[in-house]
Amino acid sequence: MQDTTETRMIMISPTSDITPDQLVRFVHSLGLGLGVKETCYGINIQGPVENVKKAFKEVRNLDPNRIFSKVRAFPIGDERRCRAHHGSRPGYPQLEKEWSDLPKMDHALTAMEAGEPVPVKKKPQPISIERFKEIIDEVSQ
Amino acid sequence: MKVFMVPLNSLILYDLIERFGHEPLSLMSEMRDRVVNAEIEAPPLNLTPEDVKVGLNYAGIEIPSGIRGRMSIWGPLLDKAEAAIIMHDMPYTYGCVGCHRSNTLLNHMVRKKDIPLLEVHYPNDDDEAKILVARVKAFLEGLNGN
Repeated sequence: MQDTTETRMIMISPTSDITPDQLVRFVHSLGLGLGVKETCYGINIQGPVENVKKAFKEVRNLDPNRIFSKVRAFPIGDERRCRAHHGSRPGYPQLEKEWSDLPKMDHALTAMEAGEPVPVKKKPQPISIERFKEIIDEVSQ
Repeated sequence: MKVFMVPLNSLILYDLIERFGHEPLSLMSEMRDRVVNAEIEAPPLNLTPEDVKVGLNYAGIEIPSGIRGRMSIWGPLLDKAEAAIIMHDMPYTYGCVGCHRSNTLLNHMVRKKDIPLLEVHYPNDDDEAKILVARVKAFLEGLNGN
């Protein structure tokens, strides 16, 4: 049977003033009949693909540069993943790392909107032979 | 356009591709069909005999089974790709996307495929993030012919 539903993770950047609780209430208020689960990083929403897309569009408009999202394979509360059912949580360290780096993405998107010039990253230069000899002398003493 | 991304489950890449108006090809969407399919006994750990045959299209029989198993899912996804973004130096590549040999093979296959390709680095500070966003945006807008 073709699955016509989608589960989507919505993550709030640590720099945002929006809370997961606010998002849950907001999604319920849209009246799209979606399943919503509050999490520590944001919310998960689930339902027919079109409704999930509509809801996400509205949610992102609340704080465009600080709300991020990706789809999720497992349904909300799936026994193989949900902590309430002692499910395993593979992939969470990755999610945690990306979540902690969302402020960088927020700054980058905001800077781009403001038309700031893109910084030029200098490539690290190799040290000179003389300096390298000095370091060898310092270390070997 | 359908844009393939490496790593296949990156939140940052998925979001940027969608934000700039394209369709990300992700591991999560591919796994969705498998984990909600009741015919598989213990998804996503189980492979079907069909998966094994599919994996052989991308990695030979002498290649470790873990790589072939991954390629049975990643390979068909790459076949659908019309463009690709590879992000290097991800600090979190362990777990399901942490097999270095699989990633090396995947990067090789992406580069070999004749599609527009962007290679970027995971940002470690604000400046690198700005460079990443600017490059991804320019690449994705270029796909539209802008």
